[in-house]
Amino acid sequence: MMLEREVVVVGAGPAGLSAALEAARAGASVLLVDENSKPGGQLFKQIHKFFGSRDHRAGVRGIDIGAQLLDEAQQLDIEVWLDAEVCGIFNQCDVWIVRDKDRSVTVRARRIILATGATENAINFPGWSLPGVMGAGAAQTMINLHRVLPGQRFLMVGSGNVGVIVSYQLLQAGGSVEAIVEAAPRLGGYGVHTAKVRRAGVPFYTSHTVLEARGTDHVESATIVQIDSAWKPIGGTEKELSVDTICIAAGLTPLVELAFAAGCESFYSPLLGGMVPWHDRSMRTSIPSIYIAGDISGVEEASTAMEEGRMAGLSAAHSLGYLDHEQFTTGFQAAEARMLALRSGMFGQKRRDAKAAIIAHERG
Amino acid sequence: MMDVDDKKDFFICRCEEVTLREIEEVIDEGYHSIDDVKRITRAGMGLCQGRSCSKVIARIISQKTGMPLEEVLQTSYRFPVRTEKMRVLEEEGDSDAQNR
Amino acid sequence: MRRIGEHPVLGPLPDSEMVRIVVDGEPMLARKGEMIAAALLAAGKQYFRKTIKTQEPRGIYCGIGRCTDCVMTVNGIPNVRTCVTPVEEGMEIETQMGYGHWKQER
Repeated sequence: MMLEREVVVVGAGPAGLSAALEAARAGASVLLVDENSKPGGQLFKQIHKFFGSRDHRAGVRGIDIGAQLLDEAQQLDIEVWLDAEVCGIFNQCDVWIVRDKDRSVTVRARRIILATGATENAINFPGWSLPGVMGAGAAQTMINLHRVLPGQRFLMVGSGNVGVIVSYQLLQAGGSVEAIVEAAPRLGGYGVHTAKVRRAGVPFYTSHTVLEARGTDHVESATIVQIDSAWKPIGGTEKELSVDTICIAAGLTPLVELAFAAGCESFYSPLLGGMVPWHDRSMRTSIPSIYIAGDISGVEEASTAMEEGRMAGLSAAHSLGYLDHEQFTTGFQAAEARMLALRSGMFGQKRRDAKAAIIAHERG
Repeated sequence: MMDVDDKKDFFICRCEEVTLREIEEVIDEGYHSIDDVKRITRAGMGLCQGRSCSKVIARIISQKTGMPLEEVLQTSYRFPVRTEKMRVLEEEGDSDAQNR
Repeated sequence: MRRIGEHPVLGPLPDSEMVRIVVDGEPMLARKGEMIAAALLAAGKQYFRKTIKTQEPRGIYCGIGRCTDCVMTVNGIPNVRTCVTPVEEGMEIETQMGYGHWKQER
């Protein structure tokens, strides 16, 4: 039994929700699909206030932005399927969805927008598979979504934004962060968050990494060690920490399975997380019916994800004949301008260059 | 990825319990792709289907062979990209277009 | 490992209807609708399963249903991802040893 929709959006995080909203506002029939039991992607774990201009809802917490987006989606009466896993895309238009892990449905879509996000990277060391070693995102899910502290004494591995933000949130949740280790010689996260964690008394160790985690049924202690410029441990610098939980914040990798299985061309961008689907300025991939938005197109932030989502939603709808040229251009350029404004400063500039390189790439 | 005093008996593939040592041995034997390593060691064939380990395996292959990471990373995937029971293939759901 | 009662941003933990679940034969209470993994962590459970080859203990790792490390046998069905499965009244949850056993007709 085949259903038909004009636009199918895969993933109801900030990018997917924004894409669905724009496409629906433009007049297209939209189906928004998410494999989780609740929409919002990573937004509902983000209890901190976002940066940016007023346009980007600066000073607003991720959880509140998520609620606003969902509210708008409800007002527009957008069709949303939760507990719905997209398992495949055939002939560039037939979306195979399994609902409730129970039954298949195929939806023929004229346009597909993939907003599947990214997944946490692993760091491997003896003892890393012990209970108590988890992704920083896993700890964040437990404390902010489920209101459970998964341990009491934490070691954070990685000082990037995720590492320092989650460290601060662990403190807010009542845990203690015994140390943050960073393999690089310099810390990697936004100054504001890093300063907050420092002021709370958490020690940072740069040029350090985890050597080993130990414990019988669960983490009981960890050894950290200084590393040299060749990333090799320096003997004699080992420090043992009494921790019961080790959070790994080692970056994210875009979730590209669906895009590549559907035939989208790849582009390698180490700064953005690895292999991403190539896309043009309008967020369209090498397959004319498939667009992407958000972390799948390169790991950034929720605010850039929302703008890319808007761009993809507008582009997809316009390509179907919705919106006249001026309506489309006004909306698209406004979103694009806001997105570029977000890519500013020390961190943003690098991302801006990396994203520009994708668009500029001449395909074979 | 660091050598930790030859402590290589911890798992790279959590699901199938394949150690760093086993993976390196296979690479030393001349198998330089994620697929080959997967077929021989079963790393990446477990419940999570390589989600936690395939990027790490790519990094190990790249480090040991000198091949650029870009050439080793996986870019080919097959449907279904989610683990499902066989029975979902038996019957297609009806056209229930209800919101939840 | 415990529930967060008072939180500076999220506020006090709201009251919740409780449900009775059984974990390795021991009854306990959980908040209605919470994820099994959250309930077990709140109760201080150290590990959720032991692996097939080496009987290593495992707990949560990704926390969002993707890595399958947190699986346990629930109501006789093995390999249930506890971090994305909510508790239900009367649920029987067992630490899974290896592959686990199917206890029901599928």
